[in-house]
Amino acid sequence: MDFDDTPEEASFRAHVRSVLEEHASELLHVAPGEPVDARSREAELRDTQRVLAEAGLVGVTWPREYGGQGGTLVQQAIVGQELGRARVPTLINHIGIGMCGPTVIAHGSDDQRSRYLARLLRADDVWCQLFSEPGSGSDLAALRTSAVRDGEDWVVNGQKVWTTLAHVADFGILLTRTDPSRPKHAGLTMFVVDMHAPGVTVRPLRQMSGGADFNEVFFDDVRIPDSERLGEPGEGWRVALTTLMNERVAIGGAGSDIGPSPESLTAHARDRLPALSPEQQVLARQAVGRALVASLATRYTGYRRFTTLSQGGVPGPEASAGKLGGTAAARLVTDAGVRLLGDEAVLGATADGDDTWQRAQAYVPGIAIAGGTDQVLRNILGERVLGLPPEPRTDKSAPFSSGGRR
Amino acid sequence: MNFDLSDDQRDAAAGAREFFTGSVPLSAARAALEGEGPPAPGRKALADIGFLGITVPESAGGAGGSVLDLAVVAEQAGAVLAGPSLVTAARAAVLLEGAPDLAAQLADGSAAIAVLDGPVTGSAPSLDAADATLFLGLDGGALVVGEGEVTPGRPMDATRGLASVRMTSRRVLAEDAGELWARARQVGAVVMAAEDLGAADRAVLVGVDYAQQRQAFGRVIGSYQAVKHMLVDAWVGVDQLRSLVWWAAWAADSSPAELPLAAAAAKAYAAEVAERATETVVQVHGGIGFTWEHDAHLYWRRAKVDRLLLGDAAEHLDAVARLAVAGALG
Ligand SMILES: Cc1cc2nc3c(=O)[nH]c(=O)nc-3n(C[C@H](O)[C@H](O)[C@H](O)COP(=O)(O)OP(=O)(O)OC[C@H]3O[C@@H](n4cnc5c(N)ncnc54)[C@H](O)[C@@H]3O)c2cc1C
Repeated sequence: MDFDDTPEEASFRAHVRSVLEEHASELLHVAPGEPVDARSREAELRDTQRVLAEAGLVGVTWPREYGGQGGTLVQQAIVGQELGRARVPTLINHIGIGMCGPTVIAHGSDDQRSRYLARLLRADDVWCQLFSEPGSGSDLAALRTSAVRDGEDWVVNGQKVWTTLAHVADFGILLTRTDPSRPKHAGLTMFVVDMHAPGVTVRPLRQMSGGADFNEVFFDDVRIPDSERLGEPGEGWRVALTTLMNERVAIGGAGSDIGPSPESLTAHARDRLPALSPEQQVLARQAVGRALVASLATRYTGYRRFTTLSQGGVPGPEASAGKLGGTAAARLVTDAGVRLLGDEAVLGATADGDDTWQRAQAYVPGIAIAGGTDQVLRNILGERVLGLPPEPRTDKSAPFSSGGRR
Repeated sequence: MNFDLSDDQRDAAAGAREFFTGSVPLSAARAALEGEGPPAPGRKALADIGFLGITVPESAGGAGGSVLDLAVVAEQAGAVLAGPSLVTAARAAVLLEGAPDLAAQLADGSAAIAVLDGPVTGSAPSLDAADATLFLGLDGGALVVGEGEVTPGRPMDATRGLASVRMTSRRVLAEDAGELWARARQVGAVVMAAEDLGAADRAVLVGVDYAQQRQAFGRVIGSYQAVKHMLVDAWVGVDQLRSLVWWAAWAADSSPAELPLAAAAAKAYAAEVAERATETVVQVHGGIGFTWEHDAHLYWRRAKVDRLLLGDAAEHLDAVARLAVAGALG
């Protein structure tokens, strides 16, 4: 047991570091935990991703024929760690890289792959994932957005919601219902949609954290050529599962912190503890200790998964445990961070204008919902890891148009 | 990075599992509770198979193994609530670094050694002291060894061998032993976390097993989310605790500067995880879970006792915060 890189990992890491140093002046850098608004900083974010892509640090695990590096998941994780260390913010096309691209690779035509993938890696095109609807989030297969065949095109009507990055996206993967007479999982079809096509309207949604990273998206008679279909008609659920599987791996990751890092909490505690009353200090230290323990437990569990991957293992349903643990830790870390502010915490920012911890705290509830809620992840773990009976289903076999009733 | 057990350690864990399941029936924990016998498998069996000397140097008749080697065995001991505790062996092995003759007696079981917490003139309830004959204690900064008068209490968990001791003779083994004492306590905390890991893991398995059998309202109870999610939360805790235990044991062997923080983190988390897992297993069993006959309360007792031994969660969370702020995390 050790925490050192293997010689190959060490030389790869050194390579990544030197690339990041060489291009430092061309990359966007932010303070730890600082949220980055994709709307106001779109150009810088796109430039940053392009520079990284040209240096071979984007799409590490993607096959070379699609512009990737043909690398391992471990190399991918090392790049992630080093980007974090260098304080480069999350790539603007993270949804494209983590979810949309792998879906195009798995289910797209050769033509689609050659048109889209290299541009996606360079952030020439930013992508979004158009799955959730007002009436179908956890129960994704209940979606209603319809696509109706009309000659060489499909005509799409409906509404998506909570679509992260739709406001800057050029393309999206869009899950639609093409056959309501079939059971809910069977009548779905996936498309690539041009977000600039006529009839697509994107409206920002403000989040409780104050930012607006996600959106409502409306489709009014939007025409999508049949050549933009991903997979066969009626096979959309199978295609979506590819996306969702990649999403779990992208979020439940190998040892990266979901919220602010334990080190950032420690530094904050060092600054703020002395200003608290003795009674407050006792409580704050308990909160800090509890938060550090939870986030270290999550981090080291990620390292164990990381080791499995580096030995050729495949990511399993345990990835969901990584997200659950990370969400719980993020809640404790941000709570402790805010508690350390003492009475000032009730104001939106401290006297010097800093609102990092308040904003981080307001982001945690979203983490517990996005990419599968805590409850849905517990269902997955209960069934797939503990082997407990599946959730009862009354709506699986009846035609969707009958509302799930026979 | 290779954050995993070695093949040897995996084999050792499998061997330990076989030994403990074969030699420690859970009925022994209940019998001990009713005053009808000592904890199983007992000091002699543990010495014979070499578990008391895992971290004792080979020159003193031990196996010269690592704390991690010991932790994987301790996990299996915890799964069946074995006694005496490998915590005592681990802690004593550190304290006896400079006394190879005594270390040899620890390893071969010829001395029944316990480590006392609190003042040696009247100790706090101390692990495995009830049937020990030789005691190690900290007396005004010096490490002392001697005999004592034992006062057992009415145990919550009889497998822990808890008793208070008044030392009746004292020989100094080392002056200025504060740091040695602290390290021994940290190693003890790691091994206790490993035993708690084993107990909590087993509790979750017992709960899952029952949730797959028991029916209510026409369905297996494990299909109800109130039950399913409770078990998942307990399982996630166990999975994460395993990571902290391995990290802390690795630190004890390979990164002494990290040990104080890692040990405190593992001990604090172990207390929480074991409590949640064992409360869950009682609840999942309903009325049966509250009966004396069912094993659930034996695990529950272990968790309720262990959370207070070698420092409670409040003490260790505070230590984690202080050490981190002082720079232990970077
Ligand atoms: C920050 C953020 C970003 C997002 N980005 C995207 C995106 O880019 N693209 C996209 O398509 N979607 C996105 N989403 C949507 C997200 O996937 C959904 O919000 C999520 O799947 C939950 O669906 P819902 O909001 O409809 O809640 P619901 O499904 O209505 O759930 C409501 C409550 O019921 C519980 N619940 C539902 N079903 C069950 C069950 N079977 N068992 C137990 N409890 C259950 C849930 O846990 C929750 O507490 C994003 C969401 C957030 C918060």
